Amino acid sequence: MSATTIRATIGQCKAELLRTIRNRRFVIFSVIMPVIFYFIFTETVGGDQQVGGVDWKDYYLMSMTVYGVVGASLTSFAQRLSKERTEGWLSLLRITPLPSWSYVVSKVMAQGLINLCIILIMFLVGGIVKHIDLSAGAWFTSGLFIWLGGFAFMSIGALIGSIKNADFVQVLSMIIYMGMSILGGLWFPTETMSSTMRNIAHVLPTYRLGQGAWDAVAGASVNWNGVLILVGYVVVFLVLSSYVMRKQEAV
Amino acid sequence: MNTAIELNNVSKVYKGKKAVDNLSLKVEKGTVFALLGPNGAGKTTTISLILGMRQPTSGNVKLLGGDPKDIGIRNRIGAMLQDVNVIDSLKVAETINLFRSYYTKPQSLEQLLRISGLENEKDKMASSLSGGQQRRLGFALAAAGDPEVIFLDEPTVGMDVTSRQMFWETIRAMADRGRTVVLTTHYLEEADNLADRVVVINEGRIVADGTPSQIKAETTGRIISFTAGASVTDDMLHKLPGVKKVEWNGRRARLHSGDTDRLIRLLIEQRFDMRDIEIQSGGLDDAFQALVGQKGDQ
Repeated sequence: MSATTIRATIGQCKAELLRTIRNRRFVIFSVIMPVIFYFIFTETVGGDQQVGGVDWKDYYLMSMTVYGVVGASLTSFAQRLSKERTEGWLSLLRITPLPSWSYVVSKVMAQGLINLCIILIMFLVGGIVKHIDLSAGAWFTSGLFIWLGGFAFMSIGALIGSIKNADFVQVLSMIIYMGMSILGGLWFPTETMSSTMRNIAHVLPTYRLGQGAWDAVAGASVNWNGVLILVGYVVVFLVLSSYVMRKQEAV
Repeated sequence: MNTAIELNNVSKVYKGKKAVDNLSLKVEKGTVFALLGPNGAGKTTTISLILGMRQPTSGNVKLLGGDPKDIGIRNRIGAMLQDVNVIDSLKVAETINLFRSYYTKPQSLEQLLRISGLENEKDKMASSLSGGQQRRLGFALAAAGDPEVIFLDEPTVGMDVTSRQMFWETIRAMADRGRTVVLTTHYLEEADNLADRVVVINEGRIVADGTPSQIKAETTGRIISFTAGASVTDDMLHKLPGVKKVEWNGRRARLHSGDTDRLIRLLIEQRFDMRDIEIQSGGLDDAFQALVGQKGDQ
């Protein structure tokens, strides 16, 4: 790997970060909305409620952090990808010396950094404003789990982003995002759902990502079933999206 | 190795139609090379084959002696493509710097802003630029790596007259530094002004190849036009020696001839009823129309 390629990958990554931060939709849906939701639902539900043995405000902090990370990985990621294809930007990049792996790596790296920032912001808000007091281990494990799980949603975002219509991608990714968030129990805990709804939730990656964080806060051991389901999503969507993209490029 | 581009019997079939038909071509380094042709002639397809963006159905393509998909080769070229919009949410200078980071020996940001005339726009969002300015940004990106071969697909579409003049100056300066410039255009004036060599293609095949003046000389002579009085008939004009073609636009007659000096003398000697006489040499425009055998809109 040459010095130029490293420089190019870092440059590409920086550009991705700038584009995301300047995207108002991203800031609203992935940062401001989870924070506001968190305040609204912890105020209205009351301080001493518990879900599965965990304080409501701890539980809901995890839900909303997952909600923010999923939104960023799914919607703004898919939208940036789709825009680059439809606006001819990707064809132009293909004739530059930027290797295609560097393009992919910088995208994933930038999104990983963004997700990390969202987790830190949410945890700081919870810790400072709502005085949430978790053990260092619980903070770390839940944060790490959400961060790693975020990559599953990038692979879904990549598949949606392969559609060459940026407006449609925006709507579709929103529907999938909202749908999976509500059905997966990020807005309202699955404990309040009917058993049918709960069964649906249990196969969704949103629930499985939340579960990892909720378990970490409850001090429960990792649910390997859930991890397996998340990994399954990554594999399936990575294979699908790289197949679709390769097919589009073969001309 | 003085060949910048080499195409050997290259064909490209799209949905059963031949977009490029057995094309062979060699472009020497340091040439300003113009690819001319009507819409759908195969210009853009040819460029995309040379750039390795598309695979030829048969034949082979060499760019700077190698495979255009090779990263080492890509480091030495740059291109301004059609239908590429600027990237969203990045400023002009940020976009240029991003592209500079891809190449081993990039030109300086200042230099790129200067040749594209975007010094005052460098802190603006790229998406807020006017159409012509966006094209110039595209040019700055193509030039970012200080390329040995630069491809410009319809570069001046959407530029105003001043931008276009300035752009031509820049192209000439690049050629003076020994760079190879490949451009496609349907502005014939552009090819006439800039190119050392013009290749005209139609239906994926080469129909003419030479300097702009060679192509003009080969295809058309000169034209005498006048408003004819009632006594002048088409038949009379056709009978005149040396008249290749007669065109009518109302009572305005256009006579094509290889030797207009002799023809004008004849017309006057025979006392033809003529007003507002003009003698013009056929431009590349006429040559082009003759070659592709269709009436253009200009």
